[in-house]
Amino acid sequence: MFERRLYFHIDWLLLAAVLLIAGFGLSMIYSTTYVTLPDGTGHPGARFWVQLYAVGLGAVALIIFLALDYRFLAEHSLFLYGGLVVLLIYVLVGGGVRAGGSTRWISLGAFNLQPSEFGRIALALILAMYFGENRRGARNYGDLIIAGLFFLVPFFLIAKQPDLGTAVTLVPVCFGIAFLAGLRLRLIAIVAIAAVLLAPVAWKVALKDYQKSRINTFLDPEKDARGAGYQQIQARITVGSGGWKGKGFMKGTQGQYKFLPVADNDFIFSVLAEEQGFIGVLVALGLYLFVILRSLEAARLAKDRIGAYLVGGIISGFAFQVIYNVTMSAGLAPVKGLTLPLMSYGGSSMIATLAAFGLVLNVRMRRFTN
Amino acid sequence: MPDDRRSLTLRLSFMQYLVAVAFAALAIGFWIFQIAQHEKFREMAEENHLRRLPLPAPRGVLLDRDGKVLVDNQSSFNIALVREQTRNLDQTLHILAVATNTDEAQLRETVNRRRREPSYRPIVLIENATPEQYIAMMARRWELPGIIPQQVPARKYPGSEMAAHLFGYVGEVREDQLQHADYSGIEAGAVVGQAGIELAYNQLLMGTDGNKTVIVNSVGREIGLPLGEEPPREGKRLQLTIDADVQKAAEDAFDASGFNGAAVVLDPNNGEVLAFTSRPAYDPNSFSGGIDRATWNALNADELKPLQNRAIQGRYSPGSTFKMAVALAGLEEGVITPKFQVYCGGGATFYGRHFACWKKPGHGTLDLRHAIEQSCDVYFYTVGNMLGVDRINKWATLLGLGVKSNIDLPNEVTGLVPSTAWKQERMHEKWYAGETISVAIGQGAVAVTPVSMAVYMATLANGGTRITPHLVKAIDDGTGLKPVPPPPIQSKIDVSPEKLQAIRDGLWMVVNAGGTGGRARIVGHDVAGKTGTAQVISNTGRLAAARSRKDLRDNGWFVFFAPRDNPQIAGVVFLEHGIHGPNAASLAHHILDTFFAKQDGKPLPAAPTHDDMRLDYKDPYARAGTPVGGGH
Repeated sequence: MFERRLYFHIDWLLLAAVLLIAGFGLSMIYSTTYVTLPDGTGHPGARFWVQLYAVGLGAVALIIFLALDYRFLAEHSLFLYGGLVVLLIYVLVGGGVRAGGSTRWISLGAFNLQPSEFGRIALALILAMYFGENRRGARNYGDLIIAGLFFLVPFFLIAKQPDLGTAVTLVPVCFGIAFLAGLRLRLIAIVAIAAVLLAPVAWKVALKDYQKSRINTFLDPEKDARGAGYQQIQARITVGSGGWKGKGFMKGTQGQYKFLPVADNDFIFSVLAEEQGFIGVLVALGLYLFVILRSLEAARLAKDRIGAYLVGGIISGFAFQVIYNVTMSAGLAPVKGLTLPLMSYGGSSMIATLAAFGLVLNVRMRRFTN
Repeated sequence: MPDDRRSLTLRLSFMQYLVAVAFAALAIGFWIFQIAQHEKFREMAEENHLRRLPLPAPRGVLLDRDGKVLVDNQSSFNIALVREQTRNLDQTLHILAVATNTDEAQLRETVNRRRREPSYRPIVLIENATPEQYIAMMARRWELPGIIPQQVPARKYPGSEMAAHLFGYVGEVREDQLQHADYSGIEAGAVVGQAGIELAYNQLLMGTDGNKTVIVNSVGREIGLPLGEEPPREGKRLQLTIDADVQKAAEDAFDASGFNGAAVVLDPNNGEVLAFTSRPAYDPNSFSGGIDRATWNALNADELKPLQNRAIQGRYSPGSTFKMAVALAGLEEGVITPKFQVYCGGGATFYGRHFACWKKPGHGTLDLRHAIEQSCDVYFYTVGNMLGVDRINKWATLLGLGVKSNIDLPNEVTGLVPSTAWKQERMHEKWYAGETISVAIGQGAVAVTPVSMAVYMATLANGGTRITPHLVKAIDDGTGLKPVPPPPIQSKIDVSPEKLQAIRDGLWMVVNAGGTGGRARIVGHDVAGKTGTAQVISNTGRLAAARSRKDLRDNGWFVFFAPRDNPQIAGVVFLEHGIHGPNAASLAHHILDTFFAKQDGKPLPAAPTHDDMRLDYKDPYARAGTPVGGGH
């Protein structure tokens, strides 16, 4: 299945960039979770080791998703998709592990797996397959409705956990593939206008109070400086106090003294900005930008539409998540439980993301095969 | 599908541009925060984790004139709240209230009152916490984020009520005080003097708070060692003019008598206050760690007004003690000489109205010395009538009556010696000559404060210099006690010594011959003095009010100086509802006895018992008596 010559077509540069970012993330997690004992000595926190194992498992997943032909995976995407839906239902009907007010995980003994993180891969595969095989692209409303249904099932199952943040990341995957598959610009315009018009209705009907308060707080963080606005204000202080060169590795005050909550997770980029400064931010942003542009290049090079759509969908979701999280890290977007892929603490996210890049490499690597 | 392929490439390029633009925007955003606004956020981050903790400065110690410590400091613990470190304020207050057995509503009120202050500034919730409260708080500390213990120096006063009004008390600075220029540089929550010397000399006593800079994490836990520390500077030590032994004698005398009132004892030569008391009093110690509301309310609601400093804030009719002012006015205005004689037949008629002497059978013919000795009302009616009210006013004022003494204590009130101008201004009425007759024996509108009576006696004692009573003898600015020059005198009159001697002789006779002040006699020390008994209400009014529960017994005065010819002590004892002036003389005796025993190097007299006081409780006006007539 894995021909020797394919080895030479692996995009080592992209792989290196991806692993470099993951390494960056590991070092930031090391910094924010380091445990200092009263006698002055210390040791890395448990989360650092968990994340290190996750990178290892992710590397395995990456190899698997690289080794199997993406066409083979796309052809069997209905099974993968179906399997995911079953797992999501299983989580909802009581098989899941509850934590922090929502049920997102399945216990695997040693660690908990979060199936929703794999939703983007499954959705990208099945939509790439659907649009890539039907030869009509996404110009047909009937096809769009079917694609919409593929999207809505996991979306609702994940939103119901509740985990609106992860559910929302399915939107750019779906939209990215439809866009590449030729979604009519007129339709995009109509949807955009409808969204603007329906926003007040959604505000009234769909959003829960805590979600509304997050948005309210974003618009005026000072109003609730002790509550929800606290994170946003602290995020800006964290980032702004970093300056050019930052305060140095493990020398940040905002993250180290816990003024910024979830520093190893949602706000890991803020801590990077604090400790590594604007220079570190430029390096990290540059790496992410390189990974995204290089991946979109892989889509351009793909030998078939399935490959192009697959990479486009995966990277749309990835880019959306990166841009949103980094914006939030600087206190410029409403605070949402959305992690920074490749850097934030989170085993499932790391494994799923590396697997996804396995697919990106896969498409590029097999651009010459038939 | 070449067309499809081109469209796909186009759309991929579009996505790439979109992402590149988004990243450029992000880079700009980070540049704004991290570079352009770096300084602002750097400071905010420092405010977050660097905390300057105040190190409260102990207030200056108060010493007596011999260097004995009167008011000191002791260590106590406050329990304070740092709001920015709390998670759930209501719950925190509730747990704290239960753990320390305090009133939750009062804690909340304290927090509400200071809610406008920066949330990192500690709010003291429980001042002077008991060891039990402190332990209970520390035991539940993990449930109480934002609750911190503060070690603070607290004021420690000598005896329960000793010199309470003199020392005053301390308390948290009030909001209205913070607006005032005198309190610039003082932060909310600071402890300042609120009465007495503590208030008058607050600036000197306060000292300068120090601080230390520490690193704290988001729940306020201190991390590592302090980064810097500026130690507090203790307030300046003040040496008071008070003589602790004389002060104690005054307190003991009041305790033994059971009466309320005031006593002020001065050095007549320079105005140094040797003793100063007002009764009923309060325990200033109960304020030093923050007074609890119940005690405060009780003090305010008490009908006897223990918070009032009677020595400088009480205005009372002086009665017969006023007669020396009339005598001096008569002598100095040339209206009489010491040999001037008046016949007293138990009363006299002026302007068609009969004025009785306190001694119904009359005194017969008297000169000035004997008129003072016997406190003959008719004699002073006559002199007063010859003088007219304005000349009485002039000389009483020069002696210190009806004006402020300008003692260095806050909120002194002004007494009143009437004049024609005063009546015209206040009542828009003409002064009637008949009104002067009552004024001549210290009745009518005349009202004086005990401290002004002390100045009055000091002025008679030192030959006419109206000294300014004052409380501070020396200040220690850190390099040892430096004497403070006495404040400038208020006025000086040139009195011919012979004329003054007649008054002094009369006063000496009051105590040492046949007068009413015999109880103040001290063998070998020539005490000169004068009693006074002043009605609280007219006798007819008293009959009408007989059923009321108010205490309407007469007030008693004894004013004095000693020795007659080289006075070293002058003062006043005022007994509220003390019935008779001679009762006040009993208290003065113990004060004088102590003063002279100390001067002579003899053992100090023991605190008197109630029986030693030989108080006279017979109330001569309990039944209907003579309608008008001064006391004796």
